[in-house]
Order: sequence, then C-alpha cells, then structure tokens
Amino acid sequence: MTYQIAVDVGGTFTDLVLREPTGRTRSFKSPSTPGQIVEGILNGVSLISEKLGIERREFLEQCSKFSCGTTVATNAILEGTYARTGLITTEGFRDTLLIREGGKADADAINIAMDYPAPYIPRHLTLGVRERVNSDGGIELMLDEAHVVEVLQRMKQLEVEAIAVALLWSIANPSHELRIGELIEEHAPNIPYSLSHRTSPTLREYRRTSATAIDASLKPLVTRAVSELERRLREEGLKGLLTLVTSSGGQTLSSEVMERPINLCLSGPSAAPEAARNMFYIEGETSCDAIVVDMGGTSFDISIIHDWKIPMHREGIIAGHIFGVPSVEVKTIGSGGGSIARVDAGGFIHVGPESARSIPGPACYGRGGVRATVTDANLVRGFLDPANFAGGTMTLSVENAEGAIQQDVGSFLSLSAKEAASLIGLAVEQDMVAAIEEITIRRGIDPREYVMVVGGAAAGLHAVAIARELGMKKVFVPPIAGVLSAYGISVSSMKSGFSRSLATATDNFNYERVNATLEALEKDGLAYLDRMNIPEGSRVLQYSTEARYRGQVWQLSLALEKGRINNGDELAKVLESFHDLHDKLYFVRSNDPVEFTEWSVMAIGEMSSGRPYFGGDDQDGADAPEKPSRQVHMRELGGECEIPVYDGTRLKPGVLIKGPALIDQPLTTIVLYPSTVATLTSNGGVWVEIQQQ
Amino acid sequence: MNLVKHERIVDGADVDVFTMVVLRRRFEGIIREMINALFKSGRSGVLNTAMDFSCSLTDAKFRSISLSQGLPVHVGAIDLIPRAVAAKFGGDILPGDCFANNSPYMGNTHCADLTLCVPVFVEGEIAFYTIARAHLGDMGFPSPTTYAPHSFDVYEEGLMLPCVRIQKDNRDVSEVIDICKANIRVPEQFYGDYLAVLAAVRTGEARLTALCQKYGFPKIKSFLDAFQDYAERMAVTAIGKLPKGRLTKEMMYDSETDLYPEGIPIRATIDVDPAEGYVTVDLRDNVDNLPLGINMTESTTLASCMTAVLNILGPDVPRCTGSFKRVKVLMREGAAVGKPRFPAATSAATTNLCHALIPHLQSIFADMEAGLGTAYGSIGMPGSCPVISGVDPRHGGKNFVNQIIMGYWGGPAMHGHDGWLTYGSGGSQGLLLQSSVEVVEQQQPIIVEKLEIRPDSGGAGEWEGAPGARCVIRPRFAPVRFMINSASRKYPPQGVRGGLPGACMNIRRIKENGDAEDLPITTDVVLSPGEKILSEGCGGGGYGSPIRRDPVLVLASVRAGRISPERAREIYGVVVRDEEEQWILDAKATEILRAKRPGENA
Repeated sequence: MTYQIAVDVGGTFTDLVLREPTGRTRSFKSPSTPGQIVEGILNGVSLISEKLGIERREFLEQCSKFSCGTTVATNAILEGTYARTGLITTEGFRDTLLIREGGKADADAINIAMDYPAPYIPRHLTLGVRERVNSDGGIELMLDEAHVVEVLQRMKQLEVEAIAVALLWSIANPSHELRIGELIEEHAPNIPYSLSHRTSPTLREYRRTSATAIDASLKPLVTRAVSELERRLREEGLKGLLTLVTSSGGQTLSSEVMERPINLCLSGPSAAPEAARNMFYIEGETSCDAIVVDMGGTSFDISIIHDWKIPMHREGIIAGHIFGVPSVEVKTIGSGGGSIARVDAGGFIHVGPESARSIPGPACYGRGGVRATVTDANLVRGFLDPANFAGGTMTLSVENAEGAIQQDVGSFLSLSAKEAASLIGLAVEQDMVAAIEEITIRRGIDPREYVMVVGGAAAGLHAVAIARELGMKKVFVPPIAGVLSAYGISVSSMKSGFSRSLATATDNFNYERVNATLEALEKDGLAYLDRMNIPEGSRVLQYSTEARYRGQVWQLSLALEKGRINNGDELAKVLESFHDLHDKLYFVRSNDPVEFTEWSVMAIGEMSSGRPYFGGDDQDGADAPEKPSRQVHMRELGGECEIPVYDGTRLKPGVLIKGPALIDQPLTTIVLYPSTVATLTSNGGVWVEIQQQ
Repeated sequence: MNLVKHERIVDGADVDVFTMVVLRRRFEGIIREMINALFKSGRSGVLNTAMDFSCSLTDAKFRSISLSQGLPVHVGAIDLIPRAVAAKFGGDILPGDCFANNSPYMGNTHCADLTLCVPVFVEGEIAFYTIARAHLGDMGFPSPTTYAPHSFDVYEEGLMLPCVRIQKDNRDVSEVIDICKANIRVPEQFYGDYLAVLAAVRTGEARLTALCQKYGFPKIKSFLDAFQDYAERMAVTAIGKLPKGRLTKEMMYDSETDLYPEGIPIRATIDVDPAEGYVTVDLRDNVDNLPLGINMTESTTLASCMTAVLNILGPDVPRCTGSFKRVKVLMREGAAVGKPRFPAATSAATTNLCHALIPHLQSIFADMEAGLGTAYGSIGMPGSCPVISGVDPRHGGKNFVNQIIMGYWGGPAMHGHDGWLTYGSGGSQGLLLQSSVEVVEQQQPIIVEKLEIRPDSGGAGEWEGAPGARCVIRPRFAPVRFMINSASRKYPPQGVRGGLPGACMNIRRIKENGDAEDLPITTDVVLSPGEKILSEGCGGGGYGSPIRRDPVLVLASVRAGRISPERAREIYGVVVRDEEEQWILDAKATEILRAKRPGENA
C-alpha cells in the first residue's frame, strides 16, 4: 500500500501524477475518452503500470490513495445535462433564478443584440408555497402544509428527478424548509432534494437559490458517476482511499460528495494554486505570493496565492449560474491556443472569444481549420517547433498557419505573416494581462510584488511577456507545469467547509449566540475530520465571518484568528482586522459599526506524505544543451532573427540561460525575451528573472 | 468577410498597430480600476446595490476614450464636465485640485448625480481629466427623493454645486463639504459616498501619470489622436451600411401638466447619410421647457442621441469622441427635449423623457428598414423602484432614505431577440443591478410580498418585448414614505413593424380593508403598516407581427405562465390545449387560425 495516484480528467487529456514509495513524483498524460470518464482513467492507470512494469491490478492493490478531479459536475451544468429538477420557492418569488442580480458582463455592456439567458430551472418546474419568514426569523405567514403536499403532487406529475427548496429568509429561520424536507420524504420518498439553508446558508435569495438548484440537480448524476467510478476502481483492485477534489481545492471522501455534489463545481482547476504553493515549499522559498496561470487550448485560468494562502470566494460561476459555495477563486477567460484572430473595419485586431477548439482546430493542425489562431501565430513567429508539438505527437503545418494569418490579419494591415503573428500574440497577451489585472485589483493586490507560476501547454509561450507587461520580476515554471492541477490534487489536504448564518453587529454584539454558533461549527468540522479518520495532530480548523460596515450591502470574508470571541478586547481585534481589510481593498475605513451575517469553518486534515522529488532516471545534464537555433519574430529584436534553443530535458541545474532564447520542454516551450535570465533548479523547475526597465 | 483593405492605422514610428493594442487595453484597465475603487465602498443603496455610477476620462482636448463601461446616460456627454472646469477656471487649475459639479447648467446630468473631476498634469501641463459620477440617495433635495418631476424650477431642486473646487492640494475644501453636509439629510452617508467617488478620480490620476511615465507622453498623445481616428473610421463604416433616408416621428409621453392635457409630444427627425458617413438627429421641433422636473439637460439629450445611434451601429464601434463626431445633434435651448433655459427644472432629466427619447430614436431606424432598430422599452420607473424614507425602529429610530431597484425590467424587442428582461431603461440598458429582496428587507423596515413576472405584459411580436414585474411592498413597523417617478400610464412602450405595445404601468395603494386606489404617475405617499403598494411594471414593445412568432416559443411562454392561453390564441394565433395537465401545441388549429390573418404575415 504505497503508491498514491492523483488524476485530473480534462476534455482532451487525462493528467496523472504518481507518487512512488520513495517520494519520487512523476507525471503522465493519457487521452481522455469523452463520455466514458472511467475508461480514460483506467487507460491512464495502465500507462503507469506499464511504465512500472507491473500488472494494473497489482499496482492498484498497492495504491494507498486515489484522488480524482472530475469535470462531471461542471460539464453537466455547462451542457445542461443535469437532472430534471423542480424548485420550491416562497409564493410570489418564482422568478428569482430568472432575474439573477441584473447587470451585464463588461464584454456585453454595449451589445443590445443578445438573448436574455434562461433560468437554471425553467419556470414551469418552479412552484411557490404559501409561507413567509421575515429578516429577523419571525414568521409572517405560517407554512401551509396542505399547499406543500399539493405542490409535491404536481412535482411528481411533472416527473422531476430532484427537488430544490429555497425559501426567503430560511437562513434566519429554517423551520419551514425543514418541514418541507420532511414532507418530501413522506410524499415523494425517492426524490433526492436539497434545502437552501443547508446547501449555502448565505444572504441574497438569488445566490442561495441558484446554489440549491444546482446541488439538487446534480444529485442523481453525481451519485451515479461517483458510484460507477468507485465500483470500477474497486473491481480493478483498488483497496485504498478514494477521494475527490472539491471547489475548495481540497479532497474529500467520495461519500461526502454525493451528499453535496455542488462541491464538485470546478473540481480540477481548483487544485492548481495548491500545486504552486507546494512547489514553493519544495523550492525552499521563504515567501509565497504568486499569480498562477494555466493555459490550454480553449481557456486561460488565473488564481492567486497571497502570503501562502489561497483566497476563496463565494462568487464562483459556471455558465452564468452562481454556485455560491466557498471555492478557490479561479478566473477563466476564453483565451487559448484555439482563439481566433480577426481585424475589424477600422483596422484593429481582436483575438477571441471565438475559438477553433480542437476540432477543426488551428489552421496548422491540418484538420480543416482555416482561420488564424493563437497557436498558428506562435508557430509562425517561430516559438513552436513544427516537428515537436504536444510531446512530438503531432506535426504542424507552417504553410497553413502562414496562409491563414496572411489572409485574416496580415493583408488587412499590410503586415507580413510574421509581423501579423506577433500582433496576434500581443493582442492575446493583452487580454490575459487585463484578466490578471481584474482579479488582482479586486483583491487589492499589486502584481509587481508577485511571482507568476505557469502551467498548461501554452502558458510558457506567453508567461514572460505577460509578466513583463504587468511589471512582475519573476516567472516560475514548475517541473509539473504540464499537469499542474493533477499535481495540486496529489498534494492537497482533506478539506470541507461548514457555514451558519447569524446576524449581529459590533455595537450590540451577541457573544452568547456567536460563540454557540462557532461551537456548533467546531462540532461540524471535528465530526467531518472524524469521518475522514484524520489524526489529532493533523487537524486544522480555520474560522471566518462575513462582515460589512453598517449601511453597506456587500460583505467581505474576514478570517478569524480563533474559534471564539469572548470579550470586548477580542472583538476589538476582529474589528481592527476588518478595518485593515476594507482599507486594503477600497482605500477607506469607517467609524460605523461592523455587521456580521454569517460564520464559517474550514475543516482541514493535513496529509503529510514526505518530500517529493522529481528527478528522472538520468540526473546529469549539460551546461547548455543546444538544439538547432530557430528563426523567430520578436519586435524587441527588431523583427526576424535567429535565437538559440535549449533542450530543457538535458539542462543542468544552476546554469544561467540568457534571453533571447527558447527552452523546449516535453509539453511546453518557454519563450525568453531579451533582458531575462532563466535557471533550472535541482527539482527541474525553471525560474525566469525579468529585468524591468 | 468583405473587409476593404486599408493602410496601417497610423504612419510614423510613434504609434503602430502594436502600440494601439497595448494602450487601448491600458486605458480600459485604468477605467476598470477607477470603477473598482468606487464599487462596494459607497453607502447609499443606489450606489452599492445598483452600481448607479460611472467612471470616465478625457484628454486635454476633452476627448473621451472609452465609455463602454459606464451607464450610457452618464457617460454619453461626459466631456461637458471638464469643459465646464476649463471654462470657469481657465489658467487657475493646479495639480491637487478636484472639482465638484451637480449643476444641469454646467454640463451635469441632473442634480442627484454628484460628479467629481480631477485635472491630471503631465510634464507641467494638463494631459487628462478623470471623472467619476455617482447617483446619490440624497443630494439635498427639499423632499427626500432624488427625482422631483413636479419641481417648477431649479430653485425647487435643492443644493447646487455649480462646478466648484472641492479639493485643493489634495485636501478637502472644508467649507464646501460643510455646505453639503448642512443640506443633506444623511450627512455621514454623503461623506462616505464622496470619499468613494474621490477614490475613483484619484486612482485614475495616479494610474494615468504612471502610464505617461512608462510610455512617454508624446507616444500617448499620438495614440490619443490615432484612437479617435480609428473610432471615427469604425463609425463611418457602420453608417455606410445603413439605408439612406430621412424620417420624422412623433411619440406621446404621459403628461402631468395642463399645458398638454393629452400628452407631451416628443419629436425627432433622423437623417442618415451613408455616403458621407453621418447620422443627424434633429430635436429642434420639440415643446418649450415645461414647468416640471422632467426637462432634459444638454448632457442627457446628447447622451441619449449617442446611445441610441451607437446602439444601432453595433458593439464593435468604440464609444468615444471619435465615433460621436459622426452623430450630429441639433437641439434648441429652451426645449424640454434639448438644452434647458435657466431656470427650468431638470431633476428627472436622466429618467422620464430620457427613457422615452432613446428607444424613440431607435424605433425610427426600425421604421426605416426591416431588421433595423428596436421597439420601445420601459419609460419611467415602476412603483417597485421607489425612493423610500422614514425611521427604522430596528436601529433606534434612525432616519433612512434610499432608492431600491426591483423589477426594473421591460426591455424592447429587436429583430432576432426578445427584449432583455432586466433592461430598466435606455439610460442604463441592463447595466444596473437589481436589488436582492433579502438585502432590501434587511436595510429597510419593509416587506416585499411579491416580485414576479406580470403575465401578458410584454409587447407581443415576432420578437416579444420583455415583461414588467408585479411587485407588492408594505411597511413593517412604522409609516414609510414612497416617492415614485413613473410614466407609461396612458402611453405604454410601443411596438414597431407590426409589434404591439407592452402593458401600461400601474401603481395602486391597497388599504387595510382590501380597497385599492390608483396612485398618480408621480407618487408621494406615506403608507402605514397594514397598507401595501402594488406595482405593475410596463413591458417593452414587440418587434414584427405576433402572427410570425414561432409557435413553439409561444407554447413555452404559456407553459411558463408568462402569457395566457387566450393571448396565445387571440394575439399570436397559436392554439394550445391542456392535455393531462400539460399544455401542448395544436399545430393544425394554429395553422388554420393563422391562415385567417394573412395580411399580418407580411
């Protein structure tokens, strides 16, 4: 029982990370099998066991832990393949999911030719019941139970497969929701259901209703998918723990996930910052402030680490639907290798949001794509080796790429194909810079003080340029850059969050009820850690509260130092930390009382597994293992020129590589601009220092 | 793609296509930072729940650069603000100054919008002006509201800041702050809002200064020229695709003055010259200033025209001075739709006539050619968007005054798209956030009993106007004053090209005994506990004949309870039947029914 496996199932590839008994850590990529996730995973496991030279069953039998990131929830929401779900609301509020919160995304602000998005659950499956609780938890109108029973009969007639219950102010008084839960068990005993005060006990009816609707709608599907995964892995020999990665970036046992499938939203990408943080430990860094970027074919994901902490938020959105549970803040934009470039009538370049995806793909794939994409641009400007793409699994056509770029961009702007390729690269990098600025500004963070950590096949091509534009001084490409999320999964902790709502304020602070709430949360957290069999010494409980100045309506998540607030001095400390947080984010503090709306705990079970190492079989290396130089187009060098190319797999640790240069790695290429210096560390990571003018 | 090949954007070494991309994004990023500095920090409800504010900047020549992130009515003529600063202070403008303006006669939108403007100095000269504008919950009105359609003249509209210096050497001019606090019911809320707006303009100042250092002022200047040229080319190209023509149209707006007992006419003539690349909007033939607060200001009239025409030109055309140059607006001083003549009242200049004018102009394009333009959207604010005030027993009887934004819906239909539900008005075009019922009830001592789609309220058409909301609100403990600035009572938003109007807007007071009475268009009423307000928002107008609407869409609306089966049959010519408690489409009966109305199917 000595191996550990972590798997991240993506649309194109299934990434795997193997931790051997010695601590040696290796990464693998295996093609995904759309529609048959388990087959893809087992293929990947076979790949590893072949490498190890043992039978798959024998290998699985020796696995102590099998951790999995899965897109099953995310994809069901994106594709609308979730269960037919009924929604029960307070009468008079059937349109909460339709109204959402108003407003429009920045990109759509001036576009009036758009269809209004449909609600997550259609109106004809949404039914109101007579009841009403007020903001203090008082009952304005008693629950009409006969009406509930009628509504449940109607739900059955409508053949719903799951039921979400989200009443106004259930966070102040859950009795009506609880009673409806009982009535569901009595009158519709086989239909799974979710209650809003349990799924996401947060203020604002839209956010709570949306989270509850999503949770209920995923129950049938996730139960099936997770049971199937568990059954197959057990059949194939797995005896160790099976865990899944949640929105919070931690792992939890599969049984917990079936109860609250909403926690599987963004499972996978949520683990990327954990990978970066872990690598900082291993590299012996004394501080960790990082912007983590992961770029593949269709999207560019950004997350943050601030002073070793990974910020969480409750505004996670999939396909326009907010899922509300605390999640690692990952910002995704649709910029990837497949993003299509075009020139508008005034002569300005735009890249994306349209994408060539993997089919037909960029023009250079030769699969029928004819539009100019970012990958075509990177090929034409010499950054990619046409003969060695995706680990050598594919040969790219420079001719196709040049043709597409010339036709779609160059001809309109009187640029050569190479110049046009550089322009496409610059435009997509500017979009990435804007996205990073948005997430950092919102957090009151100055990117110049941060290190950029790079993952994904395409990120090495753009990272140095983006970091330079943002005024950042360092870029780090970890040895597991190609499987960033899978590695994050392999090193993540057991984790689950619990929340309870309770309103109070600094000028009339209810110590008794606050401490009773915190105690209840502590129990929730410890019971979870008990279920996960986490030993005493590895347990951590992190408390937080949602707070705001009186008169404001948006709360901020405020970390609490400890799980009780016993007296005025301790409250004063909490107040001071709120002032600091508000000042940092919005440049002002106020003398108004601070109101608290909700209390949370994150229960964490640390999984110590010793220090990994990433060495290959061959630890030597050359000082500067040059490959044939490549002709690139870099504006910094006045256009076309020849620059050296180094073989990243044979580099010797500690040697300095000066830009301009390219470092080819099996799954990515790192582009070094002038005034940059790269070093390989003994772990196989690459640090790039940028001299900012 | 049938793009014409053209030369590079700019000749010369300074600004190439690469620099264009980078600097355009930098300027957009600076505005985003300004918005962020303001967001969540403001205190009044409209600010921090609805995002009723906008940030912007212009160069020294008063040219705006990127207005796509602001509320259309706020930013469409933002250049008037720095123009007022320059006209009034000329050579007496120094680094560290900040100017405050809420005067409709000095280029501001209306008196409830507090606008701050900071001159940004680079290499000793003014290079930019940063501007932030926020709609405050109270700006020192005689009554606790921010719109007063019944004001007779400007002297009934409370506190005026006619472009005054509010900061010198980066420090508050305390006398000005004192005057504001002395005139505003919620002085602490005001000062918090002021700090938030100030944070925005100062953030913009710092970022612009850094930008010029990084790229060099000469390069930035060349970019500013090149970008305006680019925006203008985009506008010319888009106008070139419009049909040539000239059309005059009149609409009626609900009147509250004896001068126009039947309604107030709004007239516009649009002249499209695709060959020369100009659109001219002529508003001179409008009625004189009214003895009401709904007169438009120079700022809102210009912004309405820019918004409407640019909506037609499409999202690719940048919103800035370069493209606006291609829209000529002819207006008359002293006209209600135009430029006010002192001392006309204008406190409701961003709403009432402005809500009407924007879709009115868009509808003229619809009349010009099938597929173009839009129907009319919501005009006036429904009863679910009141400014409410009173005392809150939960906080020791403290005063409150706030505007809540619920059920601000009713978007106009256009070719290919039903109306946008949370449209609100042409001035905000869906950008305002809608308040959460729970937040509303936590912040104010009221109960919202209902907030749902009002069935059959969207204007029927091949593409349907968005519905309005049915909303019921009641005070919880003590009397609450509701001030509502509505319209669309007699003249609801009209359809175009055979599309039908949306339902009218209604506001009713429901007494404790259940009796209901209609409340006027402009409502100022105090409700006691036990009484309720019933608000019925208007729907947007439809586009194209309802007989052409896809029957499957009609069926879906019936199933969802958005339209009645009777409406499906009578208006849409679609027959649905109730089979085993589920509505289904009777395709045959529909075909027969629709065949009887051939004339409408053109």
